[in-house]
Amino acid sequence: MTEIKQRAICDGINFRSIRDTRFKTVRMSIHFMLPLEKDQVAANALLPFLMCRASKEYPDFTKLSQRLAELYGASLSGEVQKLGDVQVMSISMVSLADRYTLYQENLSKELTELLCSVVFDPPFDSEGHFSKEDFLQEQRQTLETIDAEFNDKRTYAKQRCEQVMCEEERYGIRRYGSREAVAALCREELTEAWKHLIHNAKIEIMVLGDCNPQSVYDGFVQAFSKIDRKKPEICETEIIKTAKEVREVSETMSVAQSKLVMGFRAGAELNTPEETAARLMVAIFGGTPHSKLFLNVREKLSLCYYCAARFNSVKDLLFVESGVETQNLESAKKEILAQLDEIRKGNLEDEEIQSAKLSLCNSYRTIGDYLGGMESWYLTQTFRPRVQTPEEAAEEINQVTKEQIIEAANRVTLDTVYQLIGNEGNAQ
Amino acid sequence: MNRKINQMKSERIGDTYYQIEHPTGLKIFVYPKENSHSTYAVFGTKYGSIDNRFQRSDEDTIQEVPEGIAHFLEHKLFESEDGDAFARYAKTGASANAYTSFDMTCYLFSCTEHVYESLEILLDFVQSPYFTEQTVQKEQGIIGQEIRMYDDDPNWRVMFNLLDALYYNHPVKIDIAGTVESIAKITPDYLYECYHTFYNLNNMVLCVAGNIDVKKVCELADRMLKPSSPIVVNRVFQDEPDTIVKKRVEQKLSVSVPLFQFGFKETVSEQRKTLEELVGTELLLDILASDSSPLYRRLLDAGLINESSFGVEYFEGPGYASVIFAGESKDPDTVAKEICKEIAEIRSKGIDPAAFERAKKSMYGRNVASLNSAENIANSLVSLTFANRELFQYLDAIANATMGQVEQALQNQLREECSALSVVNPIQEESNE
Repeated sequence: MTEIKQRAICDGINFRSIRDTRFKTVRMSIHFMLPLEKDQVAANALLPFLMCRASKEYPDFTKLSQRLAELYGASLSGEVQKLGDVQVMSISMVSLADRYTLYQENLSKELTELLCSVVFDPPFDSEGHFSKEDFLQEQRQTLETIDAEFNDKRTYAKQRCEQVMCEEERYGIRRYGSREAVAALCREELTEAWKHLIHNAKIEIMVLGDCNPQSVYDGFVQAFSKIDRKKPEICETEIIKTAKEVREVSETMSVAQSKLVMGFRAGAELNTPEETAARLMVAIFGGTPHSKLFLNVREKLSLCYYCAARFNSVKDLLFVESGVETQNLESAKKEILAQLDEIRKGNLEDEEIQSAKLSLCNSYRTIGDYLGGMESWYLTQTFRPRVQTPEEAAEEINQVTKEQIIEAANRVTLDTVYQLIGNEGNAQ
Repeated sequence: MNRKINQMKSERIGDTYYQIEHPTGLKIFVYPKENSHSTYAVFGTKYGSIDNRFQRSDEDTIQEVPEGIAHFLEHKLFESEDGDAFARYAKTGASANAYTSFDMTCYLFSCTEHVYESLEILLDFVQSPYFTEQTVQKEQGIIGQEIRMYDDDPNWRVMFNLLDALYYNHPVKIDIAGTVESIAKITPDYLYECYHTFYNLNNMVLCVAGNIDVKKVCELADRMLKPSSPIVVNRVFQDEPDTIVKKRVEQKLSVSVPLFQFGFKETVSEQRKTLEELVGTELLLDILASDSSPLYRRLLDAGLINESSFGVEYFEGPGYASVIFAGESKDPDTVAKEICKEIAEIRSKGIDPAAFERAKKSMYGRNVASLNSAENIANSLVSLTFANRELFQYLDAIANATMGQVEQALQNQLREECSALSVVNPIQEESNE
């Protein structure tokens, strides 16, 4: 795999790059990390979208969009996500590599400047704030995004389970903040949040693909040299290793199919072989079409249309998600737990272990073929004591023994069961 | 074996792929990507949910079968007498899947090791049908659950409600999985009949992209492909009026934001659109409704659309073609009105040459960028081939597009009298938490 180059711009700011001419594009991104805070999260979440709306040179949404279209449909986009108890605000620029342009244009230079400009030099109005129209536009759209999360019942159910389960942890805070908090924002707060972001956030910059990263690096060094950076905020995640008691929450809605989400504490010591074992255990349990959940709960018993397990390695959580007929909710729940017990008791074939290893290694080794995949991988690595390549992760998976898998399953405790119960009232 | 290998090279991009006319009738495409870790393969048949009425070239009568068989077959082919294909892939580490669309069914995998073993599994199980009364009955239960899951999916419902408003007879209006009633009629006999008709290698395509060697693919194909009789299957559609069924359709579902799709039905001929026509339409839609268009801005400023959901696509296939605008909106009817107003405005004022240049560069850039992904390449090669199109010619057609093509599209398409609006509204008593 092509090597990743890492260097620090200053305390709390990492610059990582992979130059690879296999790709026909360049992907550059800047990620700001702050601890999830109830009264800050809504303002922070609005920022990346607001910053992508306009720049000094193109101070209007349409003008900026037109410029990006001219630059071969380059995209400039904001994103907010949670990685453990950390809120990550990202701005990414994706464009065609210079050598594929129709008229030998130099896109990367202009795009670097544009990215630096939207981040460090927003087009503040005469009062020193983001424009009122842009602010109101983004506020409305964020409220609509929050509302739309309700439309997709699979995602909604997963989120509700996380929320209930981690009610008393930072992780229980929604990535955009609550609807009320977003609605109550004023644009003056956004200016303060932007300043805080630039000065205090932990920052990762990544440049991937067919582009010489040096000029991007120089651009950012210069931009940050004008900023009086404070000591970066500490971005830690609280890990609860064992569930106390099982919480059960149900909601009823007018849908045909019910959803069942079960949240577990994985109990693994992160960044040790225990974590690797947990990854493999989850794959055997419900991560592939030959997993215990797929073969038994879906195929053999036909209890769910989908039934899958996922491991959140930053927060040490395990979730099982399924789509179930309402009358099957109880039996599905029982069968999911029974399958976990099978692993705990060591009732698993060498073949199951081997195929889960192959499957995980396959996904790790595929990461390097996708710029977006590499970006997410290395972003998560920033919370680790040592940065690992996907190939190294694959090697580790291959070392896990059956005993370690059984131990990993025995560390898991059920924390929360969330049910979205469909009452069949499918109104026309 | 005697096989012809054509090399397809794009001077513009520098990429090369190989097209092989295999003696069994199968078209094979191999698109190697240097230093790629992974390999992506698709084995597809020109057979989708719209193929309920067809005539084989070796038969005199038109066959008519229950809705949902293509998708049912997709599920069933993974099973064979001695276990299922997923269990076999488990030994190679490949990540496998399949999908059925309106006009094709594709089986695929992605892998980083044991490439040729995985390819062998793919070629083997797709060519080995095995259905019994018992396995068919069980699948009716699983697919029934899948259909119910889609009944709750507002994006799915808003689309099929629109197609139902646009089309009288064309089977594109029928859910890809069929209905609980139609799949109840499916028997092993129907499955075998459709399988032997559409899974004829003359009606199929194999595409492999990424870390792959063309010679090895050919050798494997020679060993694995079973000869099939040279038949042609013709799709037989009932006559479809030029007009629409109804102007507006509405459904209430458990959503908190209304969703809409606004479609313009077109009259289509037997032939699929040429690349020039297709590119002309796609450029027109970009000029009309991309994020840099005046329409987009007006709708945003009025709070009528949002950036995460609004979009337009050209929905074009065998016997059907529509332009479809879609998104979330508090007031879909006003969005539809504004779209019509903008179309009339562009018709009277003409197309802005600067907007044309921007759209062209933007579309070119996005399409070249999509060649990063072996997955995109393989899937595009399959769908382009079934439509008698070619990938590099498509890129050239974008680079060489002219204003005239866009004007032509504007003249012939987007007729307001053939438009319909589909809306999914929230159920009143329910609110978001």
